[in-house]
Amino acid sequence: MNNLYRKRLASHLKEMFKYLRLVFNDHFVFALLIFIGGLGLAYSNGLKELQPNLWWAKPVIVVVLLLVLQMGRFATLFQDADVVFLLPREADIRQYLKGARLYSEGLAFIYELFGMFVLLPFIQVTDGMPVVDLAMIAVAQLLLKDSLFSLAIVSRFQVKTSWLKQSFWFKWLAPLIILLVSVYGMPLIGLLLALILAVGLRVADRRFNAVPFDWWHAIGLENNRMLGVYRFFNLFTNVPMLKGVAKRRRYLDWLLNSVKATPKNTYLYLYSHGIVRSGEFSGLYLRLTILGMILLYFVRGTWLPIALAALFLYLIGFQLIPFYWQFDDIVFTHLYPIAESQRVNSFRRLMFALTGLTAILFLVMVIIANPSWQMGLITLVIELAEVVLMVQYYLPLRLKRKK
Amino acid sequence: MTLQVTNLVGGYSQIPVLKEVTFDVQNGELVGLIGLNGAGKSTTINHIIGLLTPFKGEIKINGITLNQDKNGYKKQIAYIPETPILYQELTLKEHLEMTMMAYSLDRDEAWKKANHLLSIFRLDNKLDWFPANFSKGMKQKVMIVCAFITEAPLFIIDEPFLGLDPLAVHDLLDLIDEQKQRGASVLMSTHVLDTAEKYCDRFVLLHDGTVKTEGTLPELRKALPDAGESLDDIYMSMTRADQHE
Repeated sequence: MNNLYRKRLASHLKEMFKYLRLVFNDHFVFALLIFIGGLGLAYSNGLKELQPNLWWAKPVIVVVLLLVLQMGRFATLFQDADVVFLLPREADIRQYLKGARLYSEGLAFIYELFGMFVLLPFIQVTDGMPVVDLAMIAVAQLLLKDSLFSLAIVSRFQVKTSWLKQSFWFKWLAPLIILLVSVYGMPLIGLLLALILAVGLRVADRRFNAVPFDWWHAIGLENNRMLGVYRFFNLFTNVPMLKGVAKRRRYLDWLLNSVKATPKNTYLYLYSHGIVRSGEFSGLYLRLTILGMILLYFVRGTWLPIALAALFLYLIGFQLIPFYWQFDDIVFTHLYPIAESQRVNSFRRLMFALTGLTAILFLVMVIIANPSWQMGLITLVIELAEVVLMVQYYLPLRLKRKK
Repeated sequence: MTLQVTNLVGGYSQIPVLKEVTFDVQNGELVGLIGLNGAGKSTTINHIIGLLTPFKGEIKINGITLNQDKNGYKKQIAYIPETPILYQELTLKEHLEMTMMAYSLDRDEAWKKANHLLSIFRLDNKLDWFPANFSKGMKQKVMIVCAFITEAPLFIIDEPFLGLDPLAVHDLLDLIDEQKQRGASVLMSTHVLDTAEKYCDRFVLLHDGTVKTEGTLPELRKALPDAGESLDDIYMSMTRADQHE
């Protein structure tokens, strides 16, 4: 069973790295780096304005630590079929969970340490507590995380003691008390309490050794976790595992009805319904457009706003292109007696409408941030040229290369 | 002659699955494509609808090959896949609209037909539903409705009987009969041999990528005199003989 977890972990990590590579390859990362850089700068600037002994510093530390504590979930890597295929091996499930805990807890400790590392400058500036105290709080935090993992394992068995499984007590209340004690001057007591909690839950977990495993619950939790992971990756790239549900969105019917029902509009009909009803590409489009608008609102200057508007417009257009193949796995997309060139034309019209709308919104934001007609005019000309270049020349090139 | 498959060699990768397959479907004829799992039924169908390109040989629908006139060729086919496939983002009504647009159908006339078919299959109150809310059988009925409003000259139906309720099976057979009266040809692959025996005009028996025999039931009986009376008997004896070789 230990081997099984190791094998699953290997393929899981392979999958995760595949997605990470896609994320870091994609252009969205430029935008993200700018964003993170901006956040870091704002953080360090903000710290300079703070004085020691602020009344709200300690509560903020406690709340941040409590939130950081919730990061890093229990990756059991269970699959739906396990309830059939692993059921006869239930006696060995503990061994499987041991492997899962080793990996998940290791990863979670890295999150905890990173979170505390980010918080450190804030503590130094506002509180200035001695290094020994800091170290004790850090160890207490890790012990709390350990106790949460014991709890995660207990909750996956058919344990009847409901207060033990209730997440509120152990996930929020006990850590809150311990962190309050630690941060408000008694880190040693906090450390001891955390140790008692961690050891106590480990002992409790031992006592439930004979209780049957709750397969459905454990698999459900794992599916939820993976859904979260895929949703995260889906912010940057297409995740085939994530088939979103179609939403009716009646309030956009007027938009869809503007497509005339003629044979040459067949694919425009399909594409426009697809983009309005599914969250995948419309979500991407909206996120990038809104992010770009927010950024443009805050950026002043002559060339920087124009360059940013152009960059974001390109990113959006670039990210939309794969939508062309969105329906390729449905056989009828290939069977319709309509020429490929009509399909390309339909897609061109869709892209023109979407990037055009973004261009107008960006233009408005640039003018609001920098009220001058020269700026507006330059932005308009550049954006117009970009949209035409992208839709008329770049798009057909990309479509041809894929074939 | 509607469908003419001549010396078709084909498959998914370099290795041919089909070896010199030749058969035809005449106007107003229902031909059953019979074979075990992996015999090459789906591969044959995928070649006919144009998803696969033949390595050798040729497929003509009313004298046109896919290469001669892509749209003219595709326009003549109405296809009902074995596993129903629908666009997640389109409602039932929108699937019908898409089909009407794609096949340049007259909307009033097509809707009249569609409403008739929808009421037969008890889907007329589900026009605004998304595929996610349909059961497998309902999805299959949507496929049937979409195919039958096109009035194409050639129907390709892949294993239609599994998943449909008995009432729907009979309605489908009636619809096929109606299309035959109109002069359309139907190629249907199936495992349900007793139904096929009753309704098909002719049979093409595929085995290991080759056409073992073809013909009407009396012709098959004559070709294999010791096999027995029913299509099931004939088919079983043929596959068994093949395994003993």
